[in-house]
Amino acid sequence: MGNVIDIDDLSFRHDAAAQNALEQVSLRVATGERIALLGPSGAGKTTLLTLLDGRLRGWRGRVSVLGQAQEPERAPPLADRADTGFIFQEFALVERSTAMRNVLNGRLGRMPGWRALSGRAAKRDLDIASAALSNCGIADLADRRVDSLSGGQRQRVAIARCLAQEPRVIFADEPVSNLDPSRAAEILMLLTTAAKARGATTIFSSHQPELARRFADRVIGMRNGRIVFDLPTGQLTDDATAALYDDAVPLPAARLKVVN
Amino acid sequence: MRRRDLGGFWAGLLIVGVVLWSFVTADVELSRLMSAGPRIADFLGRMFPPDPTVMEEIRKGSAETLRIATLGTLGAVILSIPLGILASETMVSPAIHRPVRIFLAFVRAIPLILVAMLMVGAVGLGPLPGIIAVAFHATGMLAKFYAEAVDGVSPAPVAALESAGAGPLLRLRHAIWPQIAPVVARDTIFRFELNLRESLILGIVGAGGIGFYIQTYVRSFQYDKAASVTIAVIVMVIVIEAINVLLRRRFT
Repeated sequence: MGNVIDIDDLSFRHDAAAQNALEQVSLRVATGERIALLGPSGAGKTTLLTLLDGRLRGWRGRVSVLGQAQEPERAPPLADRADTGFIFQEFALVERSTAMRNVLNGRLGRMPGWRALSGRAAKRDLDIASAALSNCGIADLADRRVDSLSGGQRQRVAIARCLAQEPRVIFADEPVSNLDPSRAAEILMLLTTAAKARGATTIFSSHQPELARRFADRVIGMRNGRIVFDLPTGQLTDDATAALYDDAVPLPAARLKVVN
Repeated sequence: MRRRDLGGFWAGLLIVGVVLWSFVTADVELSRLMSAGPRIADFLGRMFPPDPTVMEEIRKGSAETLRIATLGTLGAVILSIPLGILASETMVSPAIHRPVRIFLAFVRAIPLILVAMLMVGAVGLGPLPGIIAVAFHATGMLAKFYAEAVDGVSPAPVAALESAGAGPLLRLRHAIWPQIAPVVARDTIFRFELNLRESLILGIVGAGGIGFYIQTYVRSFQYDKAASVTIAVIVMVIVIEAINVLLRRRFT
């Protein structure tokens, strides 16, 4: 089997930014790998995952996802997008809709157009959505509106939506940064186990080396838009992780806030 | 800080200047104000007791006003959906939304009564000019409200649906619509209430509705009948506002 992801010399700069968010990144990911992206805020983790999910334009380099060469100026075809799942740091749920409706939203790319538009899901889609909710331990919350759920419950709904999508690769952007430590481990366990059961490849980003150690078999360290190390989890040293954050320049914005 | 203080000073000076100018040039005779009391008393005296025999006219007039407000609001909703999207900062480019917003501000600036007079001239007397006038006038506000609702949408769920392989229409249906539906409903009900209030006066220029009877009775010095119609108008406004308050509580 070929690689899930092939990246060569990828660079990207956000509009109006002074520096590149990604600087000559090269990376290969094989099917079924569980990868953790480590690094401080602004290292380029979210940018890299969002780009791989096909939602950024104007990058330079070569990127191929699931064997499909990506085009820097054109969004990937809708038919391909359902194969890549994304879990957002801030959940990105429709707050006024029910948990079930949100999970079914993950199926939209897999439904025939008229069914998707009417919102009346077929039995098969309902079954898959129900199974995803059960997998995430929230079958009893199916009919609750998302705005009535706690942070941990919302993240479970977001993961259920991603699983219902039946993606072949899952990008998770700091999926547990909003949760307390015991919840965080629980949720990552859930995500990586479900992904493994499906044979899906997982790349999640995190600030916490201990979570990377526990839930990934490979750890990639990023800083200032560059990959600074790429190691099997067993070879990850404290020195390597410390170097990611060492003499990290405090953000000027954060300083101004304190002064005021 | 000093510049802001100076701005306040100039603004204050301007306000005092305008007030003084108005006083000096308005030609106000205090003696006329003094003699107003007895005349108002006389006027009110002739309104009492209100003549209850005009129930049939009240019924006909209110029904027509309600029809004008309803159909006028419907017309405004139909016009405001495309115009609201075209006036949205997040859905279309500045080259489109800027001129559309200026156009809507222009529409809002034209008083309803003026539009109604023009329409009476264009399509003749009756409820039709009233409906067209209300639809036109209300669109200026409603399309702006709809645009603001669209712009207030949280972009993250929309991106999530895109990531799941949903096209623009599906994103509109399942990520944007659930977010804006309560706002759109609230704004539309609010505008309907305004339309009803404002359309009460349309009869005065011949554009249909209950205002026609007020005008007719006042012109023919039948103040007791005018009083009955006025009371009916007040009751109608209070009832609609109460319904509006109840409905709005549901959309949160």
